[in-house]
Amino acid sequence: MKNITKALFLAVIGAGLIAPVQAEEVHMIMCGGEIREADQAVISAFESKHSGVTVNAEAVPWGTCQDKSMTLAAAGDPVGLAYMGSRTLKQLARSGLIIPVDISDEQQGMYQPGILNTVTDGGKTWGFPHAFSTKALFINCGLVEEAGMACVAPKTWAGMYNMAKAINDNTSAAGVGLAAKDFDNTMHQFLNYLYSNGGSVSNADTGEITFNSPETVETLEFVGKLAGVAQEGPSGYERSQLTQLYNDGQIGMYINGPWGAGQHNDNIAEIVVPIPAGPSGESGTLLITDSIAVFKGSANEDLAMELASMLSSGEAQYDLDMSWGLTPIMQYEKMMDDVYYTTDYWKVFVDPIGSGGPEPMFEDFKALQAGINSAIQGIILGEGSAADLVAEAAETLAEGL
Amino acid sequence: MDKYTFLQKIGIYSSLALFILFMLLPFVEMFIASLRPLTHLFSRPDVPVGETMTFMDFMSRFYSDKMSFQAYRDMWVTVPQLPRYIFNSVFLSTAVTFFSMCFIVPAAYAYARFDFRGKTTSLTLFLAVNMFSGAVLLIPLYKLLRVYGLLNTYWAMIIPGVAFLIPTGIWLLKSFLEKIPYELEEAAFVDGASRLYTLRRVILPLAVPGLIVVGVAMFIGAYAQQFLFAITFNQDRDYMPLPAGIFEFIGYQDVLWNEMMAASLVGILPVLLIFLFMQKHLIAGLTSGAVKE
Amino acid sequence: MSNLIQMLKPKTKSQTTTLFAWALIAPAALVMFWIVVWPLYETFRLSFTNSNLGTLMGGAEYIGWENYEKAIGGRKFPSIVTRTFYWMFLSVGLKIVLGLIGASLLASNIRARGVFRALVMPPWIVPIAIGCFGWLWLYNGHFGLISNFIEMVGITDGPFSFLAYKQSAFYSAVVTDVWIGTPMVTLFFLAAIQGVPRDLYEAAYVDGASRWYRFRRITLPQIMPTIVSMALLSAIWTFNSFEIIWILTEGGPRGGTTTLIIDTFKTAIFSYKFGAGATRAVLVVLILGVFSLIYLTVLDKLNKRYGYSGVQK
Repeated sequence: MKNITKALFLAVIGAGLIAPVQAEEVHMIMCGGEIREADQAVISAFESKHSGVTVNAEAVPWGTCQDKSMTLAAAGDPVGLAYMGSRTLKQLARSGLIIPVDISDEQQGMYQPGILNTVTDGGKTWGFPHAFSTKALFINCGLVEEAGMACVAPKTWAGMYNMAKAINDNTSAAGVGLAAKDFDNTMHQFLNYLYSNGGSVSNADTGEITFNSPETVETLEFVGKLAGVAQEGPSGYERSQLTQLYNDGQIGMYINGPWGAGQHNDNIAEIVVPIPAGPSGESGTLLITDSIAVFKGSANEDLAMELASMLSSGEAQYDLDMSWGLTPIMQYEKMMDDVYYTTDYWKVFVDPIGSGGPEPMFEDFKALQAGINSAIQGIILGEGSAADLVAEAAETLAEGL
Repeated sequence: MDKYTFLQKIGIYSSLALFILFMLLPFVEMFIASLRPLTHLFSRPDVPVGETMTFMDFMSRFYSDKMSFQAYRDMWVTVPQLPRYIFNSVFLSTAVTFFSMCFIVPAAYAYARFDFRGKTTSLTLFLAVNMFSGAVLLIPLYKLLRVYGLLNTYWAMIIPGVAFLIPTGIWLLKSFLEKIPYELEEAAFVDGASRLYTLRRVILPLAVPGLIVVGVAMFIGAYAQQFLFAITFNQDRDYMPLPAGIFEFIGYQDVLWNEMMAASLVGILPVLLIFLFMQKHLIAGLTSGAVKE
Repeated sequence: MSNLIQMLKPKTKSQTTTLFAWALIAPAALVMFWIVVWPLYETFRLSFTNSNLGTLMGGAEYIGWENYEKAIGGRKFPSIVTRTFYWMFLSVGLKIVLGLIGASLLASNIRARGVFRALVMPPWIVPIAIGCFGWLWLYNGHFGLISNFIEMVGITDGPFSFLAYKQSAFYSAVVTDVWIGTPMVTLFFLAAIQGVPRDLYEAAYVDGASRWYRFRRITLPQIMPTIVSMALLSAIWTFNSFEIIWILTEGGPRGGTTTLIIDTFKTAIFSYKFGAGATRAVLVVLILGVFSLIYLTVLDKLNKRYGYSGVQK
């Protein structure tokens, strides 16, 4: 019995060592459960351009895909290119696992303001921006009117709080949906408020942490106040669960991205408004990008770079943004006449781009997330003053920069 | 002595019912969740403002006219590799059990019967392995498996599984083997049998209950810990066991909870059946610990 | 006591015996060496480096005791350790008690015993991950069964998310851990109870002893070896229990359910800080080792005083 085991064992090792000679292959990982049609079209075009080259495009669910790309690269088996959240770029760059990309000046000029900040570190660009989102506030008019108020956009935090309180007191629903679970979108939600209050996390040029500021403390206090008119137990919810609550008519409003309209039930009459402004700033929003990174030392680095560039340039990118329903990543109106984002709905997501802030680029982005989320949970669970929590978070962030 | 009063009977049955309710509660809930369409999955009983939830409201969560077995049909489409995952789970557990037993049985026999140099030390060392979970050793194991080119194969999940089950198996089987009276072996020796022959023809048949118990325990252990090794050492979808495959129900925007629950329940069915079939032997094996003279 | 099991061991220390014994053990030992010992050594070695994402395959620098200083001196370390021990004692204690209750119930002379016994097993058989998903569902504040139930009964007047608050998250995790561990403990206790010779009970019954008395003075002492060994095994597994906490809370609101193993995983795998993670792993092994040593020593002392045989004589 054991002899058979040994033989099998040796056979497996032997098979692993004999590398089969194949046609050139470019291995690509796409985060998200599927490969978008627009991307697939580019891939096919690429394959016909380079005969003998096949693209192995693998779709991996978000829960595991970033880790997968990163561990493969760390173990010396990198894929050619991967489409992932831009927040991973700094760590990959600093660890020497990806190579800087060259984006033509012309294309650089096309991007919406602030986009390039999300992929730049140390003066170099590390990924091709490939998907973009901004956020806005979705409000359930049915609940607002039931609470006895007019369904108009609240312009300030005070207005938003009053509307939420009215809903909370006069209907069986909670006023606002607040996410506080240790998830990335909890941090994102907070940053939306922060950027609408003139706050910031770090200074991209100097690398200094600017998180510990009066604006941030104000923002955190506001979040604490919101918890009083939010659904019960915010620490147990992240954004997709808030969507469920919203659909069930249990919360009056919450922050979501442009895909929100598609997620909400048809029977909910809603309006979409810009994030209300805090006392110390203007209405802003959070700019998040996903980008395509090219890994160092993969089998066909040049081909991977070329494919990455093709996937994210001009027309191809437009097709993707439009078909997927994303906030336009470039100012396409400079390039073509008939763009898809001229409706009122889209205005809410496109207009604030100029005054929005980026998702901060941190090497240890888990520390960024942990620090901010800890502060949020702290104020909700009543474990300290806003000032103390912000200071504590700033310390954690400083370690992760 | 074995007769109970009526009151005692009620006490026993009701305590047992509570105990079993506790054990089965999550499965009941999972089953109900799997019957609901996605849109109704996350609703709580409707309680108007200012009122409290009534019993009828509470019961409404168990039944809705939209219930159906649709999820059980859809799940095969959403995750087309589901049958493969179920097969993989059973296959991996069986493989791990088989290989573990190959290593465990001789070792347990040695510890049960002989006194030899380095016995206590090695036994304690084996037990010490139990002291850390696989989670602690993941990184070096990853490197090791990579060097041997075993990543992304069935072996990637079998080998760590075997390694971590062996110590427990040796300990368990040892205590069973110790209960087999030595006189039987002595009688065989007197008749001129070799050690190996004794092991095969005399001890093994008597050890069958113990072997079954340990085998089942190993199988269940293997089945339970597949998840960690699978997600760390294996990226190939074809080899994924069920718990890892369940994660595929988590899509980009939504989690298809009802199908996920349905898939979980269906997925564990084979193992439950195997267990139901074996449980008589299992209990018999455990309770036959006292070998009567 | 002719029913007591005689355990005889050959006292032969002859060379052939030793050789033969080691030949039998060798395969198992080799597998362990290959899969466990080397990674253990490597973990130990890594704990002294600053290995991270970029240096996984080589190039990490040795930084001496720095990782250890940072880990042990960290603000949160004492509370994590305390929490881990509290978690372990509470969970194991509950498992033992429930296991005894369950085993006694299942050992009693009732109808359809086999069915009941089978019904108690599922939490053990089912993959931990899947069982945890079920509990995740149950603990939800909005649509979870438990939250809805206590609201209806009037204990609360609104939804209650068990996993959103530090205290309730911790105890919820304990409940799930107990749920997973109880069937196996019950099974083993049941076997032990059934191994107690019947004449002991009969003698006591004839003398007029009550059920409770029989349980306390006969059953418990007789199955004490099983209780003791299950307790130690269970303690070790509970200490290292990872999946349950991870799936339910990932360490809990503000670290409320972060035990040592969760902290280790978060550092090593989640944050890609392999060196620092290895340090914590080593600390886990050390702490558990010390604990086991204390446990076994205390056991030995008790053994000598009261004659409970937790270890084979």
